[in-house]
Amino acid sequence: MTIAAPAGLGIESLLRSMADDEFVIGFSDSEWTGIAPILEEDIAMSSLAQDELGHAAALYGLLADLTGTDADAIAYDRQPAEYRHARLLDHGRGDWAMTIARRFLYETADAVRLEALTGGSWAPLADLVGKLVREERYHRMHVDTWLSRLARAGGEATVRVRAAFETLAPDAATVFTPLPGEPALVEAGILAAPMRELEAAWRAAVAPTLRGLDLPGPARGPAAADGREGHGAAFEWLWGEFTMVRASDPGATW
Amino acid sequence: MTREQPVAAGPAEATVPEAPVLEPWEVFRQEKEGDAMRHGGSVMAPDEVLAAHYARELYGRRQESIRLWVVRRADIVDIADADLLQPPLDRSFKKPGGYVMRDKLAAARAAAGQAKPKARPG
Repeated sequence: MTIAAPAGLGIESLLRSMADDEFVIGFSDSEWTGIAPILEEDIAMSSLAQDELGHAAALYGLLADLTGTDADAIAYDRQPAEYRHARLLDHGRGDWAMTIARRFLYETADAVRLEALTGGSWAPLADLVGKLVREERYHRMHVDTWLSRLARAGGEATVRVRAAFETLAPDAATVFTPLPGEPALVEAGILAAPMRELEAAWRAAVAPTLRGLDLPGPARGPAAADGREGHGAAFEWLWGEFTMVRASDPGATW
Repeated sequence: MTREQPVAAGPAEATVPEAPVLEPWEVFRQEKEGDAMRHGGSVMAPDEVLAAHYARELYGRRQESIRLWVVRRADIVDIADADLLQPPLDRSFKKPGGYVMRDKLAAARAAAGQAKPKARPG
Protein backbone atom coordinates (compact mmCIF):
# COMPACT_ATOMS: atom_id res chain seq x y z
CA MET A 1 0.00 0.00 0.00
CA THR A 2 1.25 3.44 -0.85
CA ILE A 3 -0.27 6.44 0.81
CA ALA A 4 0.11 10.08 0.05
CA ALA A 5 1.29 12.73 2.46
CA PRO A 6 1.80 16.43 2.26
CA ALA A 7 5.06 18.13 3.18
CA GLY A 8 7.20 15.91 0.95
CA LEU A 9 10.54 14.97 2.40
CA GLY A 10 9.76 16.42 5.80
CA ILE A 11 7.36 13.66 6.73
CA GLU A 12 9.87 10.98 5.75
CA SER A 13 12.65 12.46 7.84
CA LEU A 14 10.24 12.88 10.76
CA LEU A 15 9.02 9.26 10.61
CA ARG A 16 12.55 7.91 10.14
CA SER A 17 13.90 9.86 13.11
CA MET A 18 11.05 8.78 15.40
CA ALA A 19 11.15 5.14 14.27
CA ASP A 20 14.93 4.93 14.61
CA ASP A 21 14.75 6.47 18.10
CA GLU A 22 12.20 3.90 19.26
CA PHE A 23 14.03 1.04 17.52
CA VAL A 24 17.43 1.84 19.02
CA ILE A 25 16.25 2.51 22.58
CA GLY A 26 14.11 -0.63 22.37
CA PHE A 27 17.08 -2.76 21.38
CA SER A 28 19.35 -1.15 23.99
CA ASP A 29 16.81 -1.82 26.73
CA SER A 30 16.29 -5.38 25.56
CA GLU A 31 19.95 -5.94 26.49
CA TRP A 32 18.67 -6.24 30.09
CA THR A 33 16.62 -9.33 29.38
CA GLY A 34 17.91 -12.01 31.73
CA ILE A 35 20.19 -9.72 33.77
CA ALA A 36 17.99 -6.93 35.20
CA PRO A 37 18.27 -6.24 38.96
CA ILE A 38 15.40 -8.57 39.95
CA LEU A 39 13.12 -10.96 38.09
CA GLU A 40 10.12 -8.60 38.20
CA GLU A 41 12.19 -5.72 36.82
CA ASP A 42 13.59 -8.04 34.16
CA ILE A 43 10.06 -8.67 32.93
CA ALA A 44 9.13 -4.99 33.22
CA MET A 45 12.16 -3.75 31.26
CA SER A 46 11.77 -6.47 28.62
CA SER A 47 8.12 -5.50 28.24
CA LEU A 48 9.03 -1.81 27.89
CA ALA A 49 11.63 -2.72 25.28
CA GLN A 50 8.98 -4.67 23.37
CA ASP A 51 6.66 -1.65 23.56
CA GLU A 52 9.34 0.58 22.02
CA LEU A 53 10.03 -1.95 19.26
CA GLY A 54 6.27 -2.11 18.65
CA HIS A 55 6.19 1.67 18.28
CA ALA A 56 9.14 1.47 15.90
CA ALA A 57 7.33 -1.20 13.85
CA ALA A 58 4.25 1.02 13.54
CA LEU A 59 6.31 4.04 12.51
CA TYR A 60 8.44 2.04 10.04
CA GLY A 61 5.17 0.64 8.67
CA LEU A 62 3.86 4.13 8.05
CA LEU A 63 7.14 5.12 6.39
CA ALA A 64 7.05 1.96 4.27
CA ASP A 65 3.50 2.73 3.12
CA LEU A 66 4.58 6.22 2.25
CA THR A 67 7.66 5.22 0.28
CA GLY A 68 6.38 1.96 -1.21
CA THR A 69 9.03 -0.13 0.55
CA ASP A 70 9.07 -2.73 3.29
CA ALA A 71 9.26 -1.98 7.04
CA ASP A 72 11.81 -4.75 7.68
CA ALA A 73 14.01 -3.46 4.88
CA ILE A 74 14.02 0.02 6.41
CA ALA A 75 14.69 -1.33 9.89
CA TYR A 76 17.42 -3.83 9.04
CA ASP A 77 18.97 -3.22 5.65
CA ARG A 78 20.69 0.12 6.18
CA GLN A 79 24.31 0.74 7.07
CA PRO A 80 24.98 2.18 10.57
CA ALA A 81 25.66 5.67 9.15
CA GLU A 82 22.20 5.75 7.56
CA TYR A 83 20.27 5.52 10.83
CA ARG A 84 18.81 8.79 12.10
CA HIS A 85 18.20 8.19 15.79
CA ALA A 86 19.35 10.80 18.31
CA ARG A 87 22.95 10.51 19.56
CA LEU A 88 21.49 10.42 23.09
CA LEU A 89 20.85 6.75 22.34
CA ASP A 90 24.44 5.98 21.30
CA HIS A 91 26.01 5.36 24.70
CA GLY A 92 25.55 1.62 24.95
CA ARG A 93 23.38 -0.12 27.48
CA GLY A 94 25.65 0.85 30.38
CA ASP A 95 24.68 0.12 33.97
CA TRP A 96 21.16 0.35 35.41
CA ALA A 97 21.66 4.02 36.30
CA MET A 98 22.70 4.82 32.71
CA THR A 99 19.64 3.02 31.37
CA ILE A 100 17.32 4.92 33.69
CA ALA A 101 19.01 8.29 33.00
CA ARG A 102 18.78 7.71 29.24
CA ARG A 103 15.17 6.57 29.48
CA PHE A 104 14.29 9.68 31.50
CA LEU A 105 15.89 12.05 29.00
CA TYR A 106 14.41 10.21 26.03
CA GLU A 107 10.90 9.66 27.41
CA THR A 108 10.51 13.27 28.49
CA ALA A 109 11.74 14.47 25.07
CA ASP A 110 9.51 11.98 23.26
CA ALA A 111 6.52 13.21 25.28
CA VAL A 112 7.14 16.81 24.13
CA ARG A 113 7.54 15.62 20.54
CA LEU A 114 4.37 13.50 20.67
CA GLU A 115 2.42 16.40 22.13
CA ALA A 116 3.54 18.56 19.20
CA LEU A 117 2.24 15.88 16.81
CA THR A 118 -1.09 15.35 18.60
CA GLY A 119 -4.01 16.49 16.48
CA GLY A 120 -1.69 17.09 13.52
CA SER A 121 -3.11 17.56 10.06
CA TRP A 122 -1.90 14.26 8.59
CA ALA A 123 -4.40 11.67 9.89
CA PRO A 124 -2.27 8.48 9.60
CA LEU A 125 0.37 9.94 11.91
CA ALA A 126 -2.04 11.79 14.21
CA ASP A 127 -3.99 8.52 14.76
CA LEU A 128 -0.83 6.58 15.57
CA VAL A 129 0.43 9.31 17.91
CA GLY A 130 -2.84 9.07 19.87
CA LYS A 131 -2.07 5.41 20.57
CA LEU A 132 1.63 5.95 21.33
CA VAL A 133 0.82 8.63 23.90
CA ARG A 134 -1.35 6.22 25.87
CA GLU A 135 1.41 3.60 26.08
CA GLU A 136 4.12 6.13 26.85
CA ARG A 137 2.20 7.18 29.96
CA TYR A 138 3.22 3.98 31.72
CA HIS A 139 6.80 4.35 30.48
CA ARG A 140 6.97 7.74 32.20
CA MET A 141 5.61 6.28 35.45
CA HIS A 142 8.24 3.56 35.35
CA VAL A 143 11.20 5.82 34.68
CA ASP A 144 10.07 8.51 37.14
CA THR A 145 9.84 6.07 40.01
CA TRP A 146 13.26 4.59 39.25
CA LEU A 147 14.94 7.95 38.75
CA SER A 148 13.79 9.35 42.08
CA ARG A 149 14.80 6.15 43.85
CA LEU A 150 18.33 6.13 42.43
CA ALA A 151 18.81 9.86 42.96
CA ARG A 152 17.56 9.82 46.56
CA ALA A 153 19.07 6.51 47.64
CA GLY A 154 22.46 7.99 48.42
CA GLY A 155 25.64 5.92 48.17
CA GLU A 156 26.59 4.11 44.99
CA ALA A 157 23.19 4.44 43.30
CA THR A 158 23.28 8.23 43.46
CA VAL A 159 26.93 8.42 42.41
CA ARG A 160 26.18 6.25 39.38
CA VAL A 161 23.04 8.06 38.27
CA ARG A 162 24.82 11.42 38.47
CA ALA A 163 27.71 10.04 36.46
CA ALA A 164 25.24 8.79 33.85
CA PHE A 165 23.63 12.24 33.50
CA GLU A 166 27.09 13.80 33.13
CA THR A 167 27.99 11.34 30.39
CA LEU A 168 24.71 11.95 28.55
CA ALA A 169 24.62 15.74 29.05
CA PRO A 170 26.31 16.71 25.72
CA ASP A 171 23.85 14.57 23.73
CA ALA A 172 20.80 14.97 25.97
CA ALA A 173 18.91 17.36 23.67
CA THR A 174 19.66 15.60 20.38
CA VAL A 175 16.11 14.25 20.07
CA PHE A 176 15.34 17.84 19.01
CA THR A 177 17.94 18.00 16.23
CA PRO A 178 16.28 20.01 13.44
CA LEU A 179 15.00 17.74 10.66
CA PRO A 180 15.42 18.11 6.91
CA GLY A 181 12.17 19.51 5.55
CA GLU A 182 11.06 20.64 9.00
CA PRO A 183 9.64 24.05 7.94
CA ALA A 184 7.26 22.26 5.56
CA LEU A 185 6.03 20.02 8.42
CA VAL A 186 5.26 23.03 10.56
CA GLU A 187 3.63 24.89 7.68
CA ALA A 188 1.43 21.87 6.87
CA GLY A 189 0.26 21.66 10.50
CA ILE A 190 1.75 18.20 11.04
CA LEU A 191 4.26 19.41 13.65
CA ALA A 192 3.03 22.14 16.01
CA ALA A 193 6.37 23.95 16.32
CA PRO A 194 9.98 23.74 15.10
CA MET A 195 12.33 21.39 16.98
CA ARG A 196 14.20 24.34 18.49
CA GLU A 197 11.02 25.51 20.18
CA LEU A 198 10.18 21.99 21.34
CA GLU A 199 13.69 21.72 22.76
CA ALA A 200 13.15 24.89 24.82
CA ALA A 201 9.83 23.51 26.11
CA TRP A 202 11.53 20.22 27.05
CA ARG A 203 14.39 21.98 28.86
CA ALA A 204 11.86 23.95 30.89
CA ALA A 205 9.88 20.77 31.63
CA VAL A 206 12.77 18.64 32.92
CA ALA A 207 14.67 21.36 34.81
CA PRO A 208 12.56 21.29 38.01
CA THR A 209 12.72 17.48 38.27
CA LEU A 210 16.47 17.37 37.78
CA ARG A 211 17.05 20.30 40.13
CA GLY A 212 14.84 18.68 42.76
CA LEU A 213 16.87 15.47 42.54
CA ASP A 214 20.21 17.35 42.45
CA LEU A 215 21.11 15.80 39.09
CA PRO A 216 23.14 17.41 36.28
CA GLY A 217 20.95 18.62 33.42
CA PRO A 218 21.49 18.68 29.67
CA ALA A 219 24.45 20.68 28.35
CA ARG A 220 23.64 24.30 27.55
CA GLY A 221 22.76 25.57 24.12
CA PRO A 222 20.60 24.07 21.42
CA ALA A 223 21.16 20.51 20.24
CA ALA A 224 23.93 20.07 17.67
CA ALA A 225 22.77 20.30 14.05
CA ASP A 226 24.32 16.85 13.43
CA GLY A 227 22.74 15.31 16.54
CA ARG A 228 21.29 12.42 14.52
CA GLU A 229 24.52 11.50 12.74
CA GLY A 230 27.95 10.12 13.63
CA HIS A 231 26.74 7.24 15.75
CA GLY A 232 30.05 5.73 16.84
CA ALA A 233 31.29 2.34 18.00
CA ALA A 234 28.60 1.51 20.57
CA PHE A 235 25.90 1.79 17.91
CA GLU A 236 27.93 -0.20 15.39
CA TRP A 237 28.06 -3.03 17.90
CA LEU A 238 24.31 -2.81 18.53
CA TRP A 239 23.65 -2.68 14.78
CA GLY A 240 25.69 -5.87 14.37
CA GLU A 241 23.50 -7.50 17.03
CA PHE A 242 20.13 -6.50 15.64
CA THR A 243 20.96 -7.23 12.00
CA MET A 244 22.70 -10.56 12.75
CA VAL A 245 19.75 -12.88 12.21
CA ARG A 246 18.48 -11.17 9.08
CA ALA A 247 22.01 -11.05 7.65
CA SER A 248 22.44 -14.78 8.30
CA ASP A 249 19.91 -15.60 5.55
CA PRO A 250 19.11 -12.55 3.42
CA GLY A 251 15.68 -12.68 1.84
CA ALA A 252 14.39 -15.46 4.10
CA THR A 253 10.68 -15.35 4.93
CA TRP A 254 9.84 -15.57 8.63
CA MET B 1 34.20 10.05 41.06
CA THR B 2 34.81 12.63 43.74
CA ARG B 3 31.32 14.07 43.92
CA GLU B 4 29.85 14.88 47.30
CA GLN B 5 27.34 12.55 48.74
CA PRO B 6 23.86 14.08 48.94
CA VAL B 7 22.93 15.41 52.35
CA ALA B 8 20.79 12.82 54.06
CA ALA B 9 17.43 14.12 55.23
CA GLY B 10 17.33 11.75 58.20
CA PRO B 11 19.60 11.47 61.27
CA ALA B 12 23.28 12.24 60.78
CA GLU B 13 24.40 8.64 61.32
CA ALA B 14 22.18 7.39 58.48
CA THR B 15 24.80 7.98 55.77
CA VAL B 16 24.78 4.45 54.40
CA PRO B 17 21.40 3.96 52.75
CA GLU B 18 19.39 1.03 53.94
CA ALA B 19 18.85 -1.51 51.21
CA PRO B 20 15.15 -1.79 50.46
CA VAL B 21 13.65 -5.09 51.53
CA LEU B 22 11.75 -7.05 48.94
CA GLU B 23 8.53 -8.54 50.17
CA PRO B 24 5.69 -10.47 48.52
CA TRP B 25 2.56 -8.74 47.22
CA GLU B 26 -0.50 -10.70 46.14
CA VAL B 27 -2.14 -9.74 42.87
CA PHE B 28 -5.83 -10.21 42.10
CA ARG B 29 -7.13 -9.61 38.62
CA GLN B 30 -10.45 -9.09 36.87
CA GLU B 31 -10.68 -10.29 33.30
CA LYS B 32 -13.85 -8.50 32.30
CA GLU B 33 -16.51 -6.23 33.76
CA GLY B 34 -18.70 -8.14 36.21
CA ASP B 35 -16.22 -10.95 36.83
CA ALA B 36 -15.01 -11.69 40.33
CA MET B 37 -11.50 -10.59 41.26
CA ARG B 38 -9.44 -13.77 41.11
CA HIS B 39 -6.02 -14.44 42.56
CA GLY B 40 -3.45 -14.17 39.77
CA GLY B 41 -0.22 -14.74 41.65
CA SER B 42 2.35 -12.67 43.48
CA VAL B 43 5.26 -10.31 42.86
CA MET B 44 8.25 -9.31 44.97
CA ALA B 45 8.68 -5.55 45.44
CA PRO B 46 10.10 -3.11 48.01
CA ASP B 47 7.00 -0.88 48.16
CA GLU B 48 3.51 -0.36 46.76
CA VAL B 49 4.58 1.77 43.79
CA LEU B 50 6.93 -0.84 42.38
CA ALA B 51 4.51 -3.60 43.39
CA ALA B 52 1.88 -1.89 41.21
CA HIS B 53 4.38 -1.62 38.32
CA TYR B 54 5.33 -5.26 38.52
CA ALA B 55 1.72 -6.39 38.91
CA ARG B 56 0.92 -4.43 35.76
CA GLU B 57 3.79 -6.06 33.88
CA LEU B 58 3.22 -9.62 35.12
CA TYR B 59 -0.57 -9.72 35.07
CA GLY B 60 -1.62 -6.97 32.67
CA ARG B 61 0.89 -6.43 29.91
CA ARG B 62 -0.94 -8.73 27.49
CA GLN B 63 -4.22 -6.87 28.02
CA GLU B 64 -5.51 -9.87 29.98
CA SER B 65 -6.86 -7.78 32.88
CA ILE B 66 -9.14 -4.77 33.21
CA ARG B 67 -8.46 -4.26 36.92
CA LEU B 68 -5.81 -5.34 39.40
CA TRP B 69 -5.79 -5.38 43.19
CA VAL B 70 -2.34 -5.42 44.73
CA VAL B 71 -2.17 -6.33 48.42
CA ARG B 72 0.85 -6.60 50.68
CA ARG B 73 0.87 -10.22 51.78
CA ALA B 74 1.63 -9.12 55.35
CA ASP B 75 -1.63 -7.12 55.35
CA ILE B 76 -3.71 -10.19 54.64
CA VAL B 77 -5.52 -11.70 57.62
CA ASP B 78 -4.53 -15.34 57.33
CA ILE B 79 -6.85 -17.89 58.93
CA ALA B 80 -5.80 -21.51 58.67
CA ASP B 81 -6.81 -22.79 62.12
CA ALA B 82 -8.31 -26.30 61.91
CA ASP B 83 -10.36 -25.70 65.08
CA LEU B 84 -12.06 -22.80 63.28
CA LEU B 85 -12.31 -24.22 59.79
CA GLN B 86 -12.44 -28.00 60.11
CA PRO B 87 -14.11 -28.77 63.50
CA PRO B 88 -14.21 -32.45 64.36
CA LEU B 89 -18.01 -32.91 64.64
CA ASP B 90 -20.28 -33.45 61.66
CA ARG B 91 -21.48 -30.05 60.52
CA SER B 92 -23.17 -31.17 57.31
CA PHE B 93 -26.50 -29.78 58.58
CA LYS B 94 -25.04 -26.31 58.04
CA LYS B 95 -24.71 -26.92 54.34
CA PRO B 96 -27.48 -25.51 52.16
CA GLY B 97 -28.58 -29.07 51.32
CA GLY B 98 -29.19 -29.81 55.01
CA TYR B 99 -29.51 -33.42 56.24
CA VAL B 100 -29.78 -36.18 53.71
CA MET B 101 -33.55 -36.96 53.85
CA ARG B 102 -33.83 -39.56 51.08
CA ASP B 103 -33.69 -42.69 53.25
CA LYS B 104 -35.97 -41.27 55.99
CA LEU B 105 -38.56 -40.18 53.39
CA ALA B 106 -38.53 -43.56 51.69
CA ALA B 107 -39.09 -45.31 55.02
CA ALA B 108 -41.96 -42.92 55.94
CA ARG B 109 -43.65 -43.43 52.56
CA ALA B 110 -43.39 -47.19 52.87
CA ALA B 111 -45.00 -47.04 56.36
CA ALA B 112 -47.85 -44.85 55.07
CA GLY B 113 -48.33 -46.95 51.92
CA GLN B 114 -47.71 -43.98 49.59
CA ALA B 115 -45.83 -43.94 46.32
CA LYS B 116 -43.18 -41.41 45.55
CA PRO B 117 -44.93 -38.43 43.88
CA LYS B 118 -44.35 -38.15 40.15
CA ALA B 119 -42.37 -35.31 38.77
CA ARG B 120 -44.53 -32.29 38.11
CA PRO B 121 -45.40 -31.77 34.47
CA GLY B 122 -43.66 -28.94 32.67
